[in-house]
Amino acid sequence: MQAAWITDFFADRVIHLDETAVVKDMHQLSASYDRFRMSAKDLAHGGDRVQERQTRATVVKQVAMERDDESLLIAVGNSQDREAFNVLFHRFGSKIFALGMKITRNEQLANDLVQEAMLIIWQKAPLYDLDKGSAQTWIFTLVRNRCFDILRKLKRQPDGISADDIYAETELELSVDPEQQQAAEIQLEQIQQYFGQLPAPQQQVIEYVFMRDLTHQEAAQQLNIPLGTLKSRLRLALSKLRDFIGVEQ
Amino acid sequence: MTTQTNHHPSQDLLKTFSEGQLSTGMSIAISAHLDYCSSCRQSVEVYESELASEWVATDPGADGPQLSESNILMDRITSQPQVVPITQATRPRRPVELHMHERSVRLPGVLSRVAEKGVVWKKLAGGINTAKLTLDRDAQCDFMYMKPGSQAPRHTHRGLEVTLVLDGTFEDELGEYRPGDFVLRESTQVHTPRSDEGCLCYSVLDSPLLFTSGWSRLLNPFQRLLFNRQLRHSH
Repeated sequence: MQAAWITDFFADRVIHLDETAVVKDMHQLSASYDRFRMSAKDLAHGGDRVQERQTRATVVKQVAMERDDESLLIAVGNSQDREAFNVLFHRFGSKIFALGMKITRNEQLANDLVQEAMLIIWQKAPLYDLDKGSAQTWIFTLVRNRCFDILRKLKRQPDGISADDIYAETELELSVDPEQQQAAEIQLEQIQQYFGQLPAPQQQVIEYVFMRDLTHQEAAQQLNIPLGTLKSRLRLALSKLRDFIGVEQ
Repeated sequence: MTTQTNHHPSQDLLKTFSEGQLSTGMSIAISAHLDYCSSCRQSVEVYESELASEWVATDPGADGPQLSESNILMDRITSQPQVVPITQATRPRRPVELHMHERSVRLPGVLSRVAEKGVVWKKLAGGINTAKLTLDRDAQCDFMYMKPGSQAPRHTHRGLEVTLVLDGTFEDELGEYRPGDFVLRESTQVHTPRSDEGCLCYSVLDSPLLFTSGWSRLLNPFQRLLFNRQLRHSH
């Protein structure tokens, strides 16, 4: 629209100038006409781009509406995708509110719950992954935890423990004795130290077999040494490490 | 810490736990049991996913939140920083140990949080020590340590008593209990716990209204009053 108006305006000017122009001005005019045409074309093109962008935004929105909860949540976590977050809000907001009403029977508290829960979904989205099950279960447990804490507050329960402590995922690390873990760490550190004291060819075979996880055959090929040599170097290196650490063979 | 446990919370309790509807004291007992028991962990996961599906399928009805304000809300929320995975804040904190004369016991996750600030032991008759925990106004929660060869007086209680074994063993008229076992006794059951090798437990004395469903249990103040009065007497 704007571009068309400019072209019309310019056309009027051309006629006007044309009528009064002296010949030497004609050349100049022609040049500026070209410039004008150029910018008019750019503007027209630009208009298309704006429209294009708007169409694309609508498409993105529609695509977001059709995406499943999991991919939306992952998009929020991975790339702070506001559009995806907005769709999640529209999907879950009223359900969170309904749950809040059921539990607190208080509109204000239910509204607070929606805000708190949505904020936590935004903040914790980077922690979500598909191993944690469906997005709706993840969101449900998060809302349940907020409800648990809200009720504790309403009942003026003592502080110091929260739903997140109670419903914490069982960490496998718990099954590892911290002393054992510490001992393992110390040992690893020692091994690394002793490793540096081995002759270079022995370090090499250890690296190829243990760090790069190659078979003896592959390691021998890559190091360009006979398999027998690799095996004897490896045996030698391991027995030296055992001696260093003081482990009985 | 997963071990073979023989005594578990009922499916009803696990479901109510998954809904977030149990008292704090009872929820802690279940949470601690889950640290020992993979089958109950699986049950809770299943209940959570079922409850989530039910929740999402329910039509919230006409009164929703004020969605007209949602743009302001969205802007405010999305301007907040997000959690960075694997930071100090999200890493599990170290387990806490309880030290008694004969032994030190490493506590499961939630009880580590409970005991983090330390506990105060009090001697009772018969070689039994308790450390009262202020967690829940509606339930009495304690660590209970039975010295080797100790025996608790025969007792009954109004309401439910749950004992979660953390270390050692104890036994009563109905069986022998090992770490991770979740032992529930109702008010009608008289029992006499004793321990030959010594035993550390977490125990909850919960309100008698536990199994009346949902929020209706708050509508029975008379029974609650009696229970609370009894709690006060027992201290």
